Amino acid sequence: MKRKMMSALIAAAVGITALAGCGGNAGETAGNGENAGGNENGGAGGDSASGTEVSQAPAGEVERIKIYVPTSGKFDDMDEVMAAVNEISREKIGVEVEFHAYEFGQWFQQYSLFLSGTEDIDILANYGGYLNAVSQGAAYDLTDLLPEYGQDIIALEGDYLKSGEINGVQYAIPIYASYAWNMGIIYRQDIVDELGLNEQVAAVKTLEDWGAVLEAVKEAKPEITPFVALSGNTAPVFQYGTWDDLGNNYGVLMDGGASSEVVNLFETEEYAQLCGVLHDWYEKGYSSKDIQTQTDGFQVLIQNDAAFSTIGQTDFNTSFYQSTSCGKDMGIVMLGEPVARTYNNVTYTVMSNSEHPEACMKFLNLWISDPEVGTLISYGIEGKHYQLNENGLGCYPEGQDASSCTYHLGSNLSNINRILWESENPDYADLLVERNANAKKSAGLGFSFNTESVTNEITQLDNVCSKYQIGLECGALDPETTLPVFIEELKAAGIDTVIEEKQRQLDAFLEGGN
Amino acid sequence: MTKSRAFRQIRRYGPFYIMALPACIYFFINNYIPMGGLILAFEKYTVSGGIFGSEKVGLNNFRFLFQSADAWIMTRNTILYNLAFMVFGTSLSIVVAYLLHELKSTVSRKIYQTVILFPGLLSIIIVSYLANALLAGDTGFINMHILAPLGLEPVSFYSEQKWWPFLLIFIHLWQMTGTSCILYLANMSAIDPGLYEAANLDGANRFQCFFKITLPCLVPTIVTLSILSVGKIFNSDFGLFYQVPMNSGAILDVTQTIDTYVYRGLMNTANMGMSAAACFYQSVVGFCLVMFTNMLVRKFSSENAMF
Repeated sequence: MKRKMMSALIAAAVGITALAGCGGNAGETAGNGENAGGNENGGAGGDSASGTEVSQAPAGEVERIKIYVPTSGKFDDMDEVMAAVNEISREKIGVEVEFHAYEFGQWFQQYSLFLSGTEDIDILANYGGYLNAVSQGAAYDLTDLLPEYGQDIIALEGDYLKSGEINGVQYAIPIYASYAWNMGIIYRQDIVDELGLNEQVAAVKTLEDWGAVLEAVKEAKPEITPFVALSGNTAPVFQYGTWDDLGNNYGVLMDGGASSEVVNLFETEEYAQLCGVLHDWYEKGYSSKDIQTQTDGFQVLIQNDAAFSTIGQTDFNTSFYQSTSCGKDMGIVMLGEPVARTYNNVTYTVMSNSEHPEACMKFLNLWISDPEVGTLISYGIEGKHYQLNENGLGCYPEGQDASSCTYHLGSNLSNINRILWESENPDYADLLVERNANAKKSAGLGFSFNTESVTNEITQLDNVCSKYQIGLECGALDPETTLPVFIEELKAAGIDTVIEEKQRQLDAFLEGGN
Repeated sequence: MTKSRAFRQIRRYGPFYIMALPACIYFFINNYIPMGGLILAFEKYTVSGGIFGSEKVGLNNFRFLFQSADAWIMTRNTILYNLAFMVFGTSLSIVVAYLLHELKSTVSRKIYQTVILFPGLLSIIIVSYLANALLAGDTGFINMHILAPLGLEPVSFYSEQKWWPFLLIFIHLWQMTGTSCILYLANMSAIDPGLYEAANLDGANRFQCFFKITLPCLVPTIVTLSILSVGKIFNSDFGLFYQVPMNSGAILDVTQTIDTYVYRGLMNTANMGMSAAACFYQSVVGFCLVMFTNMLVRKFSSENAMF
């Protein structure tokens, strides 16, 4: 009997730990979110005492909104910067803001939680598409508010605002960024120079041609992997190919969206051919045998002299951007012509449970158009967080650098209404406007796919893709044998239903739009 | 009369009830109140509707779990791996615990125990990189320093399925034996030493002692722990199955479990209803299995049943 008591006690103890563990796991995202949210609030609350004091002065009709954004930058002095922003915004539009910044890694874990509407959020940044926000009913319908309070945004972005529109409803405000992209090869220019391969590189027109360059690099520099994946083992590797992926790869427009016929990318000859080239490279040892499990990104590998080239999305600014972020001279070869597509990067949605939608719209308008506010939010206070160099470009104040600066959200959340940083192309703003205006446009430009009615299929398709897509697109799997299986499983998972639905929505979009 | 008896009971055990109160409150808040959220599994969650007000969609959210061609594979993997963990885990823990128990020197026992326990304290991310350092194709220890000097063909672990059932079970045991053997060790110290003395006098050897005394004394614990793990047979150690195979697609057929499937499928769509449905399914099946197993145990050896 005693023994039984003992065992029961132990079992109870184990049970409790197990249950506690379970509870922890099940609520992990939620729990973490709350904790982190709590910390964030707590931290901000602590320091923001000064900020709130300043802002309390003219209270009354001033509305206060909260904005949640991801960043890879620094935000220690957030409250000080926000006090400066608020001074402007309070006067101009009668709105005060509170920014909550999260590190990227944390952001992606908590984004779902933010969408669930349990946090007190007014404006939410969406990184890589806002469709989830729409399908969860978390995005406020901005259709009426935009013309009323967002005149500057309309003037600036024009047709590109359609990227934030689904079925004629404006759900999101995209920032004005580069719309015309294409898949290309990104490589180390200094190695090409050193080995005298410039002519060979200039002759590259297709992905296949690049093999010769890889061969030469492999011969001359055996310690460097000639070809690596851009962002570790995450699919898709073929981003911004010559097809317009219309939000996800299940149903695409080939030839840069020349026609509006939605087809199955994985069944196209072009896709098979690309996979074939990569598999060939894999067999010849241009890429690592471990490319399927590569966890480091391209930039890290480049910085450590471990890699030579990759494929990724390219536009007019890519070589400039990659050179500054890798710290090495980088070149690109575009495989085809850049095509303007629906912008899927940073968009802002107003939470549907926000109590101040008008204030949100007013503030977005100010943020996206006012150079002073844009600069403040991106780079902080002049003299303290940045200074202007002799060319009028921003740089870190003397004695500070990227790691010691106490505020630097960086440029990727903002529009071009800001000073340019010294690492940026000095002509960036003009080039951007020009390229966007003159780019070839996909038939699907501005179209956003509403996945709501095919969620079941997409869940399954995502799982099929995680099984084959990375392996095929980095070359580890032989397309001859694997691609047919992949296509078959996609069909079983219902890709045709998704394509059909996409075609239907696209037709409706084109009819309504023109 | 009953009233006075109840009163007496309360008076007698009152302090114990009060002592248990914080734990009860804790469980109520932490484990019972959130169960209301189970309703999410039957809803198409929207922010404006909230948890209780969203549109009801019946069993629609469960469809994706069974519609897929992988439904069978992931269910099979989840159950078989868990059974393997239960069988091998329990036997190994008991053997290790017995070996530790038999050590006469306390110092060396403590040292061994710490060494065995240590892997359990490692984050699964670190474990996955340790495994990667061993298994990687170009740079891995096994390929570079064992197979190559022996003149054998390199093995591409991350694209060959046959290795993974063994590898995953091995890694799990390596990590978990330390923690689970503590329980058995504690139980063994509680066994009356008189039993062993008597057995020794009768000339029983070590094996006989183990099988005739130690093992029977452990049966209640083994049964209780097994019932508990049966309850979680539809859940899997997410870290082990997601991180250690490095998300390699080629081996998904042997590494996909219900948890990783749900994660892979819903990470991109952030669908609350479907995630809730998956959890609901796991816990309801788990609950039924616990009841069922306990019923079986009660039938065949009622003193070992949990309730």
